[in-house]
Amino acid sequence: MSEKIQLPTENCATCPAYTQLEKMGIKIDNFDRVIALAGNPNTGKSTLFNALTGLKQHTGNWPGKTVTRAEGGYQFNGVRYKLVDLPGTYSLLSASQDEEVARDFILFGQPDCTIVVTDATALERNLNLVMQVLEITDKVVVAVNLMDEARRKGLEVDTRSLARDLGVPAIPITARTGEGISTLLQTVAGVIEGSIITAPKRVQGTPEFQRAVNELVPMLEALVPGLPNARWLAIRLLDGDARVQKALENGELPELMARQRRAEVSFSRKMAIEGRQ
Amino acid sequence: MSILVWLIVATIGAVALFFPGYGGLAQFAAWRAMRQRELVEDALKHLLDREQEGRHATPQSLAGTLSANLAQTIKLIAQMESQNLVESRGNEIHLTPEGERWALHIVRAHRLWERYLADEARMPLQKIHSEAHKREHHISQAELDALDAAMGYPTYDPHGDPIPSREGKIPTHRAIPLTAWQAEGPARILHIEDEPAIAYEQVLAAGLRLGQVIRLIEKTPTRYVLSDGENEFRLAPSIAANVHVAPLSETEIARKGAVPLHMLSDGQKGEILLLDESVQGFTRRRFLDLGLTPGALIYPELKNFFGDPRAYRVRGTLIALRKEQAAQIWVKPL
Amino acid sequence: MEANEILQKAAQLRSGLSTSFRDEIVKSLYTEAETIARRAVKSAADRKYDFDQKIDRLVTSPVFGLPIMLALLAVVIWLTVSGANVVSDAIASLLFWVGDQGRALFHALHIPWWITGFLWDGVYRGLAWVVSVMLPPMMIFFPAFTILEDLGYLPRVAFNLDWLYRKSGAHGKQALTMAMGFGCNAAGVVSTRIIDSPRERLIAILTNNFVPCNGRFPTLIMLSTVFVAAGFSGFTASVIAAASVVVVVMIGIAFTLLMSWLLTKTMLKGEASAFTLELPPYRVPNVWRILYTSLIDRTLFVLWRAMQTAAPAGAIIWILANVPVGNSNLAQSIADWLNPFGLLLGLDGVILLAYIIAIPANEIVVPTMMMVYTGASMMIEGPSGNQEIFNLLVHGHGWTMLTAINLMLFALLHNPCATTIITIYKETKSYKWTILSVVITLGTAILVTFLTATVARLLGWG
Repeated sequence: MSEKIQLPTENCATCPAYTQLEKMGIKIDNFDRVIALAGNPNTGKSTLFNALTGLKQHTGNWPGKTVTRAEGGYQFNGVRYKLVDLPGTYSLLSASQDEEVARDFILFGQPDCTIVVTDATALERNLNLVMQVLEITDKVVVAVNLMDEARRKGLEVDTRSLARDLGVPAIPITARTGEGISTLLQTVAGVIEGSIITAPKRVQGTPEFQRAVNELVPMLEALVPGLPNARWLAIRLLDGDARVQKALENGELPELMARQRRAEVSFSRKMAIEGRQ
Repeated sequence: MSILVWLIVATIGAVALFFPGYGGLAQFAAWRAMRQRELVEDALKHLLDREQEGRHATPQSLAGTLSANLAQTIKLIAQMESQNLVESRGNEIHLTPEGERWALHIVRAHRLWERYLADEARMPLQKIHSEAHKREHHISQAELDALDAAMGYPTYDPHGDPIPSREGKIPTHRAIPLTAWQAEGPARILHIEDEPAIAYEQVLAAGLRLGQVIRLIEKTPTRYVLSDGENEFRLAPSIAANVHVAPLSETEIARKGAVPLHMLSDGQKGEILLLDESVQGFTRRRFLDLGLTPGALIYPELKNFFGDPRAYRVRGTLIALRKEQAAQIWVKPL
Repeated sequence: MEANEILQKAAQLRSGLSTSFRDEIVKSLYTEAETIARRAVKSAADRKYDFDQKIDRLVTSPVFGLPIMLALLAVVIWLTVSGANVVSDAIASLLFWVGDQGRALFHALHIPWWITGFLWDGVYRGLAWVVSVMLPPMMIFFPAFTILEDLGYLPRVAFNLDWLYRKSGAHGKQALTMAMGFGCNAAGVVSTRIIDSPRERLIAILTNNFVPCNGRFPTLIMLSTVFVAAGFSGFTASVIAAASVVVVVMIGIAFTLLMSWLLTKTMLKGEASAFTLELPPYRVPNVWRILYTSLIDRTLFVLWRAMQTAAPAGAIIWILANVPVGNSNLAQSIADWLNPFGLLLGLDGVILLAYIIAIPANEIVVPTMMMVYTGASMMIEGPSGNQEIFNLLVHGHGWTMLTAINLMLFALLHNPCATTIITIYKETKSYKWTILSVVITLGTAILVTFLTATVARLLGWG
């Protein structure tokens, strides 16, 4: 099933010549890293997923096509990645089935990096979700997909301005043709390794809301020291998110932190072995 | 021979009747206990109602609500006293703190169920009261908390009654019955009393709904005439007393130029001002997530053979909405 | 710090916040998104954007919207019917020729007759029938349908038809789930997850089976080609056959709406929930990928599934046909026993027997039926062309136009296949609704065929 292809290395002066993508299909039992693919419906997430894993998830053009998550694998520059395709959602705030799947994975599945796939022709709508993901985690890369459609519609997307405003990398791609994919993978690797530092943009909200959040954050941090997204959890608690409340009540959050720390240790060991750091 | 047959029949009958847990008697006892619990809970609700109105319940008022005779009611009160739920002072019955806690739980269960049945199960409004009344006796505190959380902590039931919080706090609202409404200006319907059911159905049949903005244009001893600017609604005074209204807030009055989204003509641009108060829970969140937030630019772009739904372009995407949904979004035509 | 303390604090803070704070969160997110997007995107010209909008205006237009939809459906079906016709005969002749050679070979090797019969007349013939009846329509229908799906046309269909669903108390997205049902009803049932309201989702699940899935299309296509278009030839025949399939599909949609309405008025009372449907921008479909996925993933997958049930079904029929009972055989006896009931529905005993054998996957109904007809006496060669099928059924087994029409109706309305039933259980987690889904569909099928048969007989047809 696995096939080796040489990707074009355009837009990427630093890409080493041996840059290689190996599609691993569903062979994902032995992976080093977990990547989540999030995004609005109809942004071409499944197309990107297929392009990377060599799988053939069907990609229908209607909202709700992917209801559950799909998993696949790829290997890039010798590192094996497990890629998780989440259902397309407009938001992570509602309680519909698909949004819960996506939200739970980004929060509790602890992916090493989340790629948010956006539609270059409807950025405004797509950025809403990006900002919500940025609230949860800072290991984010924004893939601005459908650049060909944008050109067709006469739109010019300045991804550097986007990256500056969001505080995370934004990479223009066209998943259908493979344009920009190797840059994307390079960036994802950089964000995971820490060679690319992110500083995600966070929305402040009204003063009264801000006050309420600020009261809860220290309490959460006292309960679970080192919690990376206490602010987001506080917002969710204020919003009355049943899932987050449950996680707090049954002690899932502290466990989550512990698991992440263990994972970090094993990763740095792996990195040392591979001699890439 | 026939004695043997009778013996067997009698044995089977006795087993069917007395088998622990499953036999007829056990079933009957369980049913009796359940029935008794329902009675107690309904009584507690009545007492709470009365206390909230600033009056005290009497055995007579309780008997009336439960449609039981006075002797039965007095027996029930005695039983509740022994459970430390109520205490009698003269002819008045008072809730003990324990009784009040239980009563609030039942009220909360009832109103949350109504919210659920109306919003999530989409049952007709006329039906939700009786269904919620059935379900309110069969839910634990934990299940209720989960239901509350799943719906995003609603504060009002579909009739506009406040839902007590888990801690037993009741949000206050400032609505007064239409019969007491004196002002000239527009008013918003905040609460429609759902009991008695016949009166409630008449209000719904007249076409009034929660959150609607109305004006009182005629008030005589025989009828009340209301208008929402488009249609007129006629109510008998006894029915009008069940409709509770409050004056519009100043900002709402300032937005008088607002029209519901479905009134925009093809291609006419509008700016979203607010989502109607009648949109709550899941639907409201969905609207917001789709980018239908105040300040967004929107215009109708597509119309099909039937004229409904229409597709509106908002934030670069086409979203189809039925007329009922579009009517809940207030826009300022540009 | 205790978790409970935090929860209590959160609840307390929440009640202190104004009720619109949730609106405010989303609003500020979108406002920020708007600012960032405006800085990053420069719009040069709106030429192409206009083009997409023009297409949208056309395919959803009050005047042309519905006719275009119908025309697209008709074209897809016509392509399937006329294309399938060409290859179907060839494939059937080839496969039956192979069967004959195999039998001759076994005969020459003096292998006992029952082994030859079991393998070649039972298992092999079951497979051959399924492949020749099912493969050609699927090879054409799947890619054509997938192109429409990938273009983004399906949400427009939901948009065009939503009013009808609203009037039936259902959700407009049900049209999308029905479109999925054309491919496979089990997939259609899974896709009902896009409907949030539990009530409307149940309605969509219970009525999905009224859309003829790809397993049942071949039955419809064969019957309309062999019977409805019998008196015509060439292009006219294919148009008439396609038209009759379109009519059957429309009847199916009508039944979906009717059943949704009935459910709304009885078991699933309620009001329509909030309806929001995104109409995604059109995308150019990747034709090669579509051909690949619809041929390899879908067609072969469905065919493989059909073959897995066809082989044992073929074996069972052969055994039934070769167990002597009196001076007849078991298959014939069962069919005779079912016959009065079959005739009541305008069908016959063999058809009902075929439906019972084909419960695991109802795409093998026609093949099963053919095998019972031909397998009953081993003298009859497997018919390969349309004319031979016509002769076999009409002259050999007394079929009339009524039989053909009622079989088409029965195929459209009857109970879901085993896979779909299991899927319905998985999605609803309720025996009650699963059983009901079978009762509703089977009941409708029996009632409708009974009515048409009775009316037709009263009027002196059939």
